[in-house]
Amino acid sequence: MSRIRRDPREELAAATVSLAPRLRIDRAHRGGAALAVAATISAPTRIRLAEPDYLVFSVADAPGGVLSRHDRQVLGAARVLAGHNGAVMLLGATAEDAGPLGADRFMALPGGYEPEAAAALVAAAVQRHAPRHVLFPETADSGDLARRVAALLGEPLFDNVEALSATSVTRPASARRREWRAAPMRLMTIAPDMVAPYHGAPHEVEAFQPVEAPVRRGILAAAPMQVDAAEIPLNQASAVLSAGNGVKDFQGFLQLAHAMRATPGASRVVCDAGLLPRALQVGASGTVLDADVYIAFGISGAPQHLQGIGKVDHVVAVNTDLHAAMIARAELAIIADAQQVLPALLEALRP
Amino acid sequence: MKAVVLLSAGIHPRSGAAMPVPVELQAIALARRLGCDVVGIHAGQGGPAVEDCLAHGLDQIILLRIREGDDPLAAITAEIAAQKPDLILAGRRGQGGADSGMLPYLLAKACEMPIAADAVALAVAPEGLAVVQALPRGARRRLVVRLPAVVTVHESAAPALPFVYRDRLSGKIIETSGIAAPAPAFACETRPYRRRPKLIGDAGGSAEERLRAATEQKSAGGKLMVNPEPAEAAAAILDFMRRFQ
Repeated sequence: MSRIRRDPREELAAATVSLAPRLRIDRAHRGGAALAVAATISAPTRIRLAEPDYLVFSVADAPGGVLSRHDRQVLGAARVLAGHNGAVMLLGATAEDAGPLGADRFMALPGGYEPEAAAALVAAAVQRHAPRHVLFPETADSGDLARRVAALLGEPLFDNVEALSATSVTRPASARRREWRAAPMRLMTIAPDMVAPYHGAPHEVEAFQPVEAPVRRGILAAAPMQVDAAEIPLNQASAVLSAGNGVKDFQGFLQLAHAMRATPGASRVVCDAGLLPRALQVGASGTVLDADVYIAFGISGAPQHLQGIGKVDHVVAVNTDLHAAMIARAELAIIADAQQVLPALLEALRP
Repeated sequence: MKAVVLLSAGIHPRSGAAMPVPVELQAIALARRLGCDVVGIHAGQGGPAVEDCLAHGLDQIILLRIREGDDPLAAITAEIAAQKPDLILAGRRGQGGADSGMLPYLLAKACEMPIAADAVALAVAPEGLAVVQALPRGARRRLVVRLPAVVTVHESAAPALPFVYRDRLSGKIIETSGIAAPAPAFACETRPYRRRPKLIGDAGGSAEERLRAATEQKSAGGKLMVNPEPAEAAAAILDFMRRFQ
């Protein structure tokens, strides 16, 4: 995609209101040359690569059958390496929304946790299609898969890439005291939040048949375990129930957190008073959360507390003050006494 | 059960001083808790980083002396073939070398053993070894692995055994010469690490969109309930939780 060039002289001429008695330029005037060229951009059409020069594989983690933020970034990295003439093949459990994210081909990998079978499939696909690059997200499962594939193929892995361009990749080494920079290698894993996802015109996705591969299984069984939410460290928790000054019954609060399968948290006021342990403090001087859901009981929302929940997607606030900052931040705001909603919620959760 | 812990010559991330890799010390503690006879294996030059592992619960370290820059895989594979352990433990990543976490995988392939990643707890199971695997967001998964196996250990495993100076003095280091194998050529430039900014938000388009995503306060513009009945509020919260979890 070529960028539209601005002609500064033409823009200046368009913005010039008068030359005499003095030069007057209306820079706030939004018209002229810039708008004229913008009008020539046509609606996006789907890019179709029928006969690409080469392939770039992008393996998706897809937790829960949805392409994650990290998967999109890996697709973005694959698009950078593929350029105009290369095709990106997505290997994963789902191809939903893959076209707008820059994928041209899709090969299904089986869902569920079968790292040995998945590694054999990816390695067989690499041998069949001979891609120029194979990219994985550096997550727990996909990082493991990448290393299995590298061992199967007997090729080096350039892992944890933190900077990527079409000509060079960089990764940390020696306990993050040094970094290695090289030309893009065949097998690479991409660190989270380092490469931007693709934002260009959507591509058309063509499905490919998966490759058959024999597997020798050493992992005999795998099953997810039930974990007590209170034992999960606050910075890793996905749902956090937090108590502030509006909560009086902390025994009931902890019972509610257990019943809701949420990790308990607290505001600074509560921790300062010694009502809950300091380890539960959320905010600038406590833990910065990375949760999906945050439920604030009786927390008004000091700026330092709001910093701690900056990355949280969905916030619920229960507070008596309609004008509290937490109420403005919340997606579901309830103006009520937290101490009255708490037993009602416990009652509703009781089987 | 006989266990081997792979040790690497770690460095401190800030000072660069030689120190054991913390996750390898956690691996020693895991093997001890399982009731194994534990031996440490290091292929390289040795030094204080390796010797300090004796103080954290190892009685014996086999030091396979190879030249600096050589590939440790061949020496370790030969030693594993001689020792025939039931379990090989390693940290999930080293700290001081390439830090790629590839060695356990290459070793598993060379010894034809299964590999399980990111263990936080181990137990003996009828079919082999039960491994509790750490996943993101504090989740856990239980695996059963056929023995002999290679298992890498995650940082959220139980902490390492405390440093005991007497054990460091009484522990033995058995030194032998390892197999010399030049490391595969890897054309890359090394330079001091530079921390790079992380992407903020999901916007990746124009600079204006990225600036807006970084600076705009997230105002949810959602539902507001003023003085509802407690039961009504509770139902709304539960409904919200169900939608987003």
